[in-house]
Amino acid sequence: MNSTADQLVGDYVKRLRRELAGLPRERRRELEQEISEHIAEGRVTLSAQNEAEIRTLLDHIGEPAEIAAEARERFGVQAKKSGWKEVGALVLLPIGGVILPVLGWFIGVALLWISDAWSTRDKLIGTLVVPGGLLLPLSLGVFGTGASGCSTVVGTECPPDSGGSVAWQIALLVVLFVVPLVTTVYLAQRRRPVAAAA
Amino acid sequence: MRRGTLQYCVLALLADEERYGFNLVRALAETNGMVTSEGTIYPLLSRLRRDGLVESTWQESPSGPPRRYYRLTEAGRTSLKGFRLEWSRFRDAVDHFVERKARS
Repeated sequence: MNSTADQLVGDYVKRLRRELAGLPRERRRELEQEISEHIAEGRVTLSAQNEAEIRTLLDHIGEPAEIAAEARERFGVQAKKSGWKEVGALVLLPIGGVILPVLGWFIGVALLWISDAWSTRDKLIGTLVVPGGLLLPLSLGVFGTGASGCSTVVGTECPPDSGGSVAWQIALLVVLFVVPLVTTVYLAQRRRPVAAAA
Repeated sequence: MRRGTLQYCVLALLADEERYGFNLVRALAETNGMVTSEGTIYPLLSRLRRDGLVESTWQESPSGPPRRYYRLTEAGRTSLKGFRLEWSRFRDAVDHFVERKARS
């Protein structure tokens, strides 16, 4: 019973932390601490122990997004979704490795990790799906099919089962093309407000 | 308007006694229509402290961990006094039009 309550509170504080990410660190820490104190005080004062009582307590405190919006307004922090780091990461992750071979993608990864706009989980997804971005399918497309593209070159002999394997290669290429683009769209949507530079 | 006046309600609640966050927030929330999400008071408190209108101290609690108590500073008291004057003038002026309409 108590562990469910702790988990509810833990989830709430985690969501709050995520929403407050755009604020200056000091303000963020202060708010997180005070609201945690409020929850702790509420649990003692109202003897909120079961799940329903904890949920009521958290409902009264309100949605983390609402608290964060209020905080941004009170502190005069503007929600800004695309600083140069975020735009750079979103551009360089898929095509950086193509423009500036390999290195461009690493710059994209660096920007992704220094930005405050994504959670660690999203940063891992951005890095691992797919390393190199479009560099891998493009180089496979150029060199890979060039090497095995016997059917397109007059005079070369194809192994008997090449039709099937070419189809597989094309399918793989399409997947390798699409997945980094899906990741980019995902990251663009998962961006959370970061503090304006001003 | 509610948002703009909320800070003076907080200052007024702290005028006679110091209160800890939970207690202050509950006192505001008990009056209907003042606050919908209790958590939104904390950004305001933080702002008031930063502006030097309230200050906070830690005090031991009879039950549980120490509490952060808020109290008015001199600047906070002056600000509240100014608002009280302005508010009563404003209220009279609004009443003058709104209430007359209701009577006729």
